[in-house]
Amino acid sequence: MSRREMLSGGLRGLGLLGIGGATGALATRERRDDEVWQIDPDACIQCGLCATECVLEVSAVKTVHSHGMCGYCELCTGYFEPDPVALDEGAENQLCPTAAIERTYIEHPYYEYRILPDLCVGCGKCVKGCNMFGNGSLYLQVNHDRCVDCNRCAIAGACPAGAFRLVPRATPYRLRGEEET
Amino acid sequence: MADEKSGADQHRRKVLRAALWGGGLGGLGALGGIAARKTAGDPPAARKPPLGPEFSYDVSRFQASDPELVQWHEVTRFDAGFERPRNLALAPGGDLLVCGDGGVRRFDAGGGELGFVAIDGPVHAVAGLADGGLLAGRPDGVERIGPDGGLAAVWELDGVLPVSLAVAEGRVYLADAGGRVVRVLDHDGRTLGVIGERDPDRGVEGFVVPSPYFCVRLAADGLLRIANPGKHRIGAWTQDGTLELSWGRPSYAVDGFCGCCNPVSFALLPDGGYVTGEKGLPRVKTYDDRGDFTGIVAGPGDFPDYLKAAQAGRPKAASAGIYVEADAAGRVFVLDSLGGTLRVMRRKEESDG
Repeated sequence: MSRREMLSGGLRGLGLLGIGGATGALATRERRDDEVWQIDPDACIQCGLCATECVLEVSAVKTVHSHGMCGYCELCTGYFEPDPVALDEGAENQLCPTAAIERTYIEHPYYEYRILPDLCVGCGKCVKGCNMFGNGSLYLQVNHDRCVDCNRCAIAGACPAGAFRLVPRATPYRLRGEEET
Repeated sequence: MADEKSGADQHRRKVLRAALWGGGLGGLGALGGIAARKTAGDPPAARKPPLGPEFSYDVSRFQASDPELVQWHEVTRFDAGFERPRNLALAPGGDLLVCGDGGVRRFDAGGGELGFVAIDGPVHAVAGLADGGLLAGRPDGVERIGPDGGLAAVWELDGVLPVSLAVAEGRVYLADAGGRVVRVLDHDGRTLGVIGERDPDRGVEGFVVPSPYFCVRLAADGLLRIANPGKHRIGAWTQDGTLELSWGRPSYAVDGFCGCCNPVSFALLPDGGYVTGEKGLPRVKTYDDRGDFTGIVAGPGDFPDYLKAAQAGRPKAASAGIYVEADAAGRVFVLDSLGGTLRVMRRKEESDG
């Protein structure tokens, strides 16, 4: 084999290697750089897998609260256990197992409910209570200052409702009303 | 000639060899690309144990009804004619009026449709008039429909969300879920007054209406009955706006009103008692004239689709009310706004006639 033949064969091989590599990467594309994972709150069924499937030790999925939608109910079904002993902040009355919801008196009989993201594990129990009896002002979202942006989100793969969606990085949340975490 | 042929064969062999090498390397590259994609930015998941029972929202213990308490049975049910019916009322002549998106339908008690009035947008409230016409409440106003089914008048009420209407001699009581008050109007739509306005200086906390469910009825005793859903109570009010008494307590137990805001609807029985409709845990119950629980008309198990949707965490289910009405013959009408059906119920000891 002449030097020219060896060179041309090698170049051809390198070219094909590059094309093959690119094809392989494209064939398995899950998330573009300008996309992030997010939960569609209308599709979420609060199954609890967000809390256990995230690669992080504590899930990047957190409850968020639309204060604009909230009824500020005295008996908040996202905050209180079903049939609580009393409508107060006693631990036995609180629905959240990690005490991640703070209740603040506004004026009789209205209360504000605020999520403490450091305590929220994304189990969706409060969301279930709010959706079942209230208007859905509590819902789950991937918190993007915690999410490590996996190409293949482990929760998305496990989500039985297909509620995980790729959304533009520029608008990374699927919000209801005016949100605060 | 033979040399030329041998040279061409050699060249073909070289090209084939190079192509095979290239193909192999290309394949390896593809695998490499896949592997790189699979691992890039995907930290290994730590195996976590499943969540314990303390993380599940469970109200199943409230979904079963004690058969001893179920004193009513279903006589018939029919399609209410709307994908999302929003309320119902009994007209003075005995017809049933059901409202929803796009209008009002008139039925006889057996489910025969007698007519339809088209109205733009969602109609949240309806009431029959003595002349055979009706009032239809929609966001920012009320439309008065004449006995011939034609539009007789439009009452523009900016910012008002009428979700229930009660008609008296010379007066119309309009439950405004937006303003959280009951507005008193004359039969031309002019405002005469307001009932239940929040006034902290006088210790009047006002109505608590977190969602658009706010029911007003006029009782045979001349007093209004008005639900205070956020407080889980029903009050008796004079027609000029003084609260005489109220009853009800928040509880998931069968004698209370569950969730953030219930009852979403109630009606007055011929004996002076009440029939109530609740959302969340869909149930229809009766109370005596003092507000003591007397029995179940329909329990959560009678609304399986509703329960299934609510348990799946669909807010649509939670926001779908169970509306009730009662007639002088002792029948109770139950409008399931999620299922889109209207059920006619009777006490078990009574005949179906």
